[in-house]
Amino acid sequence: MRKFTKPTWLAIGWLSLMMFFAIFGWVLPFKSWNFVYEDDLEVGLFTNGHILGTDSNGYDLLASIVAGTRMSIFIAIAAVGLGGLIGSVLGITAAYVRGKVDTVMVTIFNVGLSVPNLVLALALVSVLATNVDINQAVPTWRRVMVLIMSLTIVLIPILGRIARGATLSWTGREFVTAARSMGMRDSKIITKHIVPNVLPALIAVAFLAVGVVIIAEASLSILGVGIPDGASWGGMIARGRNDLEYAPHVLYVPIFFLALTVISTNHLGDVVRAQLDSREAKV
Amino acid sequence: MLKISFWLKRIAQLLIVLLLVTFGVSLLLRLIPVDLATVLLPVGTENERDILREELGFDKGPIGYYLQWLGNFVQGDFGKIYFSGGTEEVSAHLADAMPRSLLLMAYTQVIAIAIAVPLGVVSAYRAGRRADKIISNTLFTLSSVPNFAIALLLVIFVGVKFAWLPTLGYVPLSDGVWEHLKHMIMPVISLSLGLIATYTRLLRADMIAALREDYVTMAASKGLSDQRILWRHVLRPSSLTLLTSAALSMGGLIGGAIVIESLFATYGVGFEVFAAIAGRQYVALQSTVAVIALFYVFFNLIVDIASGFVDPRTRDRRVNA
Amino acid sequence: MSSLLSIKNLGVNFDTPRGSLEAVRGVDIEIPAGTSVGVVGESGSGKTVMCRAAMGLLQGSNVQRTGTVVFDGNELTAMTKEQVRNLFGSGMAMIFQDPMTALNPVRRIGSQLSEGLRVRLGMSKKDAMVRSKELLELVRIPNPTAVLKSFPYQLSGGMRQRVMIAIAIACNPKLLFADEPTTALDVTVQAQILQLLRELREDLKMSMVLVTHDLGVVAGNTDFVAVMYAGEVVEYAPTTKLFADMRMPYTEALLESIPKIDHKSGTRLSVIAGRLPNPTDRGVGCGFAPRCKYAQEKCHTQHPELQKDPDGHLYRCWFPIGKAL
Repeated sequence: MRKFTKPTWLAIGWLSLMMFFAIFGWVLPFKSWNFVYEDDLEVGLFTNGHILGTDSNGYDLLASIVAGTRMSIFIAIAAVGLGGLIGSVLGITAAYVRGKVDTVMVTIFNVGLSVPNLVLALALVSVLATNVDINQAVPTWRRVMVLIMSLTIVLIPILGRIARGATLSWTGREFVTAARSMGMRDSKIITKHIVPNVLPALIAVAFLAVGVVIIAEASLSILGVGIPDGASWGGMIARGRNDLEYAPHVLYVPIFFLALTVISTNHLGDVVRAQLDSREAKV
Repeated sequence: MLKISFWLKRIAQLLIVLLLVTFGVSLLLRLIPVDLATVLLPVGTENERDILREELGFDKGPIGYYLQWLGNFVQGDFGKIYFSGGTEEVSAHLADAMPRSLLLMAYTQVIAIAIAVPLGVVSAYRAGRRADKIISNTLFTLSSVPNFAIALLLVIFVGVKFAWLPTLGYVPLSDGVWEHLKHMIMPVISLSLGLIATYTRLLRADMIAALREDYVTMAASKGLSDQRILWRHVLRPSSLTLLTSAALSMGGLIGGAIVIESLFATYGVGFEVFAAIAGRQYVALQSTVAVIALFYVFFNLIVDIASGFVDPRTRDRRVNA
Repeated sequence: MSSLLSIKNLGVNFDTPRGSLEAVRGVDIEIPAGTSVGVVGESGSGKTVMCRAAMGLLQGSNVQRTGTVVFDGNELTAMTKEQVRNLFGSGMAMIFQDPMTALNPVRRIGSQLSEGLRVRLGMSKKDAMVRSKELLELVRIPNPTAVLKSFPYQLSGGMRQRVMIAIAIACNPKLLFADEPTTALDVTVQAQILQLLRELREDLKMSMVLVTHDLGVVAGNTDFVAVMYAGEVVEYAPTTKLFADMRMPYTEALLESIPKIDHKSGTRLSVIAGRLPNPTDRGVGCGFAPRCKYAQEKCHTQHPELQKDPDGHLYRCWFPIGKAL
């Protein structure tokens, strides 16, 4: 393994911690995250067993943040994974097949790209997360599904365009023509030649996309259409806005986690991209 | 001549995209499993709702509905907002909200470019050395923090703890330039940090590449000073990516403006979108999204034209394309 | 004749991730006033780096320059960047190999021409434009008014080269470095440009350093020739003497590799086998030894010093060819 710098190790370390919380958080002996500790309102750090304190409603901050990690990470990975998969299939196919298919796909991508991300996500969530009886609240799991679906749809044109661009630059090269002339089937050419070369670029972008999705989900929650009841980082921020004046530490915690996570994913995405560029340069 | 036909083709493409977007939105609306008339008019007779349905075109099929909406839209009728007291014209709301958002975005872009250009030039000139590393690392870290986090932190410290700036609301220019600006400072800072980072990085990369070109050595051999070469010879050809990026980031700005406008209660277009969704005003939502898309597409077109001026090579190159 | 430019023991090293790259080593060259000196060598021989180092144009934190360069009585190597810069334009100037990349692509020709005049000579915008037109006429560009308004990409290669020459001579320099001025051009245009340079030299009383890989270019265009190989000067003599009575096997090989018009068609072109030595690790012995057909054991183990014939002919070889011995 090439040598990683200190910041890179920090980023990897932090993200591993996040993943740990996400996967194992529910078995850890933290206090319950949506239980209202009525006796401990707005306490500071390390009081009464609340390691990070509580907010003015009585929710334990550490437990909340761990639960929030689970939700935010899950949504981000799901959206990027699905969006990346669908997007790259569409993009690679479009670039490989060319012609009318390509034109149609590019137009679809452009349509998606011509609406700003958050606006599109907002529109999708608002439409899909509405019940027939308008006054009934939507169950959380449905909210989560809708969120993942909407973010996936937003990601598809972005990742698809990158996949298409990367594929275009590779299909032009001689080894593809050579493979075709040897009678290789298209599907094999794609899987054996194109995908391995497009994948690194996608992975670099995927890291960045995770950051984008985490922020998007948080934004939606702050606006009130994301995950309700503070079950995600954005939700915690939304919940904590009331405490802004007198207990701002309630906001520091989710902001800190959010910022550090996004910084880490961005940094790793950068590192992957730099590796890629140096590889390309050697070719 | 070639040039005009090129632009016509371009505009036609954009129009197609616009039509598809607006159609998509109207389709989305029709997918909602509710009776929209009931949503918009919860209190009232069934008769009134029927009239509403007819008026809005809900009784027609999706395409019919879209065409009716489109017809109204191009005439400036953006529909109404329905609430218990009566109705309001969406166009009136947007007319109010547009200048606020436009100003916010304009300030953000101007500040972002004004700060990014010198930072980019300095970090390119001193590439690899301390100044460059400090600038790059700081910007990278700052830009990874989401804009609402910056906004909240600013509000906590500058707005509440030190009370230097007001935290909420919007004051139009006509009511006093300084008051207007005071309310804009924190939103603009929140939105511009991310842009500054991107712009600086792009400009730096382009300038480092340009500095290796022969014409820089030639300019030096003419006896020109480093500063002159940097600012008057290298900056212009390197700024193309920056301009393109400025256009592309408008989309993010509009989206980001939604949260910032909500946080700071500066009722702009982004906030209108959010309000339409929260208030279930789907008609208003459709028109507002259409307006946003229109603006975004139009803005990109302008940047395209502008980049033809900055780098004349692209002007003629596209004629040949 | 006094020296206009005196280069003593010039060395240039680049710090690269792969080690220290020695591009130029121990170069001594004198350019007498009023003469034209050719610098000949393959790509990678260090000739371009040497010229840029002499002028002080090498940028970058990884560059180390050693030695002394004296121009017109000024010791450049001991001066600050600004002081050296003041000598550009009216003292020294340079024209570059590829006029497409050496001209700023987004600025009009007129603006690029007049810039030097305004900044260095303090001319007004109007005067500078008038003088720019005159300069274009001097380099024999037809339709100078239209050219002033054009962008570089709108001109042909030969015209761009003329424009570059015009820019370089704008302030009447005493010394012109011409770095492969004809390499990027067609053969017919090459001849025109070389003639233009000859005439300009006479009219403006300008000295010239003509850098090229083509021995054919220096014949008839230079008074002296310095041959460079692997970062060092390996031969130096008046041009006619070099062609008539060369000492270096390398120079001989270079001459032989020029295709001649009276060769029968189908004759194999003579090439110099092998490659330049690795600049990060020059090794012992003569750099040309692995490729030299006269090489003997001493050549591989001992690095030859520069020897001087009584008539001033310099060469760097243990077993030089030629009549005088």
